[in-house]
Amino acid sequence: MALLLAFFVLPNALLLSTSFLKSEAQQLTGELTLENYTFLFGRPIYQWAFLRTFIVGAAVGLCTVLLGFPLAYFLVRTTSPWKGVLIAVCLAPLLASVVVRTYGWYIILNRFGVANDVLLSLGVISERIAFMPSTGAIIIGLTHALLPYTVLTIMGSLNGINPNLEQAAMSLGASRTRTFFHVVLPLSLPGIAGGFILAFSIAISAYATPAILGGPATQVMATAIYGFITQLLDWSIGAALAVVLIVSSFLLLFAAARLGAKQAAI
Amino acid sequence: MKRRELLKRGAAIAVAAPYVMTARSQETLIVNTQGGEYQELVEKVVIQPFEKKFGVKVIHDATGTASQDYAKIRAARGAPGFDVAGLLTPPEVMLGVKEGLLEKLTERELPNLKHLWDKTWQVIPGGSGAPHTLQYAALVYNKDKLDKPTSWADYWEPQKKYGDKVKGHIINYNPANLLSVYALIHAAQLGNGGVDNMDPAWARLKAQKPYVGVVVTGSAEAVPHFENGQVWISPYWSARSGYYIDRGLPFEMVIPQEGVIGLLDVACIPVGAKNKKLAYEFLNWRLDPAVQRAWALAYFSSPTRPGVELPAKFAASQIVSKEQIAKTQFPDSGTIGARRKDWTLKWQEIMA
Repeated sequence: MALLLAFFVLPNALLLSTSFLKSEAQQLTGELTLENYTFLFGRPIYQWAFLRTFIVGAAVGLCTVLLGFPLAYFLVRTTSPWKGVLIAVCLAPLLASVVVRTYGWYIILNRFGVANDVLLSLGVISERIAFMPSTGAIIIGLTHALLPYTVLTIMGSLNGINPNLEQAAMSLGASRTRTFFHVVLPLSLPGIAGGFILAFSIAISAYATPAILGGPATQVMATAIYGFITQLLDWSIGAALAVVLIVSSFLLLFAAARLGAKQAAI
Repeated sequence: MKRRELLKRGAAIAVAAPYVMTARSQETLIVNTQGGEYQELVEKVVIQPFEKKFGVKVIHDATGTASQDYAKIRAARGAPGFDVAGLLTPPEVMLGVKEGLLEKLTERELPNLKHLWDKTWQVIPGGSGAPHTLQYAALVYNKDKLDKPTSWADYWEPQKKYGDKVKGHIINYNPANLLSVYALIHAAQLGNGGVDNMDPAWARLKAQKPYVGVVVTGSAEAVPHFENGQVWISPYWSARSGYYIDRGLPFEMVIPQEGVIGLLDVACIPVGAKNKKLAYEFLNWRLDPAVQRAWALAYFSSPTRPGVELPAKFAASQIVSKEQIAKTQFPDSGTIGARRKDWTLKWQEIMA
């Protein structure tokens, strides 16, 4: 309890109080104000940063689930003697730093990168396209970075499903598709939801990938917070942004948890 | 005989005592600067000779940019864990003085302060720090790809001089980097504006945007784009430009006809520094003529004091005379600090 107070409640209380203090010429004053919030909510650039953050979070969550489910299903159900190796290969990206992996995408996606070279040589495009900095590039980079987490979470859920249930459904005349949608998918929903929430919550607070693939002109909340705190030295607005990120994440995760609980009850 | 031997040994111990003490309880100074090529240079040219001369140990914390380092000082209320903030720029120094987080320095602790250019104290408050490096925001260009630029307009309106071939080969920097602020001030000046009227700068930024292929924040982030041939023209710090060009980068540095804005790199002592006495020695050492010369030659920068002898060819690209100092612009750092947030916001709105 004391640890929770010292390392969670107090820092967040400090952050919250700073977000209501006025800054003048980069200096905190003792004056209470709502200006920091009106500044953020009144400017399209920060409204876009909020929106972009949650679009990125939702898109990354969805993409990791869509890509991760078939992979997890295969890894759980395969009887290959190479199963262990395949799982290790699937998780191998976690061995490299996220910065290194992101720079890999940088090499592929930049205006003079591999993707442009290939599309130009195939005649798909006639002049080079700037795939980055962009929201799409951030989503691609984070999906790649977070896919192993979602695969692991879904695998945990699929491992708990008795394979006899699928065989029973099929022996009673259900097709493979019907068995999947009526047996496997509903039973693996907690894993899918868990994977989605995990990827979503890491994505909305990610800094390195959005900073590299989005650059300073395509901001998400984490990069904007970093900019205000360490580059512009305006701690009031940085704190207000951090409070908005924390509160909105909590609300969304709370809603997801409630939804999950409801689903489980059904 | 025995008495003589005893006296000899006693004398030897007495003479050696201070050094024995030093060796046993070697003093330690923690100096913060930055990484990359700067780390290697500063350790070789400044830190190691200082350790040798004073018989002390310097722990080099080579992390962070000037604003990040000041953020550490502020977050730790003046006791960030390092004794010397070795690489602040004037906006952070101004803020540090206002917030009372930097130690006030006088000629008593730093006798070399009295030898600095007079203009120094128009740029930063007197006694707020030891400016050890003078450089400026120059224009650099890839000589294999472009003709020599002569004006800041060649960067801000590249299509006028170079046509559409420069599309995607222009770099722009976030105003969180002082280099961007200085380039924007030049853009404003091209339209008869300045720090008090940046509207002409925003018009030029909008016009330049379709030609921009790379957008970064830190100066060091630009270097790979220079090396891989993606960026052909850029504002860049004169010191680093000289350093990279000397190492084979196919670029040249130009002082545009409108002139340049100067930058002082300043070493300061946070108020909560543990070893202030040695920190004073380090700052004074940084301003010593021999160290100034060695550092200028290694980092391709200008000394911050007059009278430092430099080879004529080297000095030609540096700010070394009273006339050159007078011609170099030093915009008010207080104004820059106060308006930087609004400028960054405007820049983001245009570049988003």
